[in-house]
Amino acid sequence: MNPRVILITGANGGLGQAIARSFLRESLDNRIWLGVHENVEKAGMLVTENPERCRTVDLDVRKPEAWGAAVAEIVTRHQRLDVLVNNAGHHQDSLLATMALKSWQNILALNLEGVFHGCQAVLPTMISQRNGRIINIASLSALSAPAGQANYAAAKAGVVALTQSLAKEVARIGITVNAVCPGYLDTESPAMDETQRQRAMERIPMRRFGQPSEVAAAVCFLACAEASYITGSTLKIDGGIF
Amino acid sequence: MNNPELKLQIKRLLVENLMLQTAANEIADDLPLFGPGGLGLDSVDALQLVVALDKNYGLKISDAEAAKQILRNVNSIAAAVQQHGSPAR
Repeated sequence: MNPRVILITGANGGLGQAIARSFLRESLDNRIWLGVHENVEKAGMLVTENPERCRTVDLDVRKPEAWGAAVAEIVTRHQRLDVLVNNAGHHQDSLLATMALKSWQNILALNLEGVFHGCQAVLPTMISQRNGRIINIASLSALSAPAGQANYAAAKAGVVALTQSLAKEVARIGITVNAVCPGYLDTESPAMDETQRQRAMERIPMRRFGQPSEVAAAVCFLACAEASYITGSTLKIDGGIF
Repeated sequence: MNNPELKLQIKRLLVENLMLQTAANEIADDLPLFGPGGLGLDSVDALQLVVALDKNYGLKISDAEAAKQILRNVNSIAAAVQQHGSPAR
């Protein structure tokens, strides 16, 4: 397998960490850039463990200038960028009737506009290469639109639509764009109380939460050479919900 | 503005980047790149062309109106490169 240069946003979180580890396992030649902002501790540990293969880059995904600087740093060092995983995300739940406008705007800026800026930042390089993989981490909420998540569900549904639209635009240039929709993952457990956890569990046919590594494996697959004919797809990874 | 060498470079860039089934020297300087009766490029070709012109000549095409003017034909691209770009990289 050829060495590849991979940028993962939100790399300090549980899923970002799992995705980074999955790419590290996949090939000794992979070079992983961990996009982080403010919270950097876990990403820093990954770099300490893999100093030759991992680096952090400061990346506030809401800011196009931050994207420009991060991508320039990566391309200056490697002369290429093969894979972008738009993983940074956050939710801030409340009923729409009482949702603060700021909450709506923040969640759209982070979850949807961040993906827009990221795609715009990497496309010139990927177009020049006539090759690239973009994997956008959406959410089951994009498809199920649960109550209390109007902002997050709208943002993630936007990510799915953006993915499909961009996939059509760049398909013949050798760039694939896919979305992954994780369901309940173990990374969310600390934020849920026991009642919420039980209620969630009852919705999952497999009767368990997913492991971040199970989503990471799918991301790695979508980024690999053998997945070259998959584009515009939305892969849900949710233990069978729906 | 006449620069046959630059125009030939641009024609080669078109053929190589857009994988055209036409020889570079068969593209006339004033052949429309888009639309009927021309080279038949589309918006995805335009996207690739914008990236290639930036990479090769440092020519920044920042909006759709500028792209419409600059990407009319080889003559208009050559003029823009001479005016705003830098030597081939």
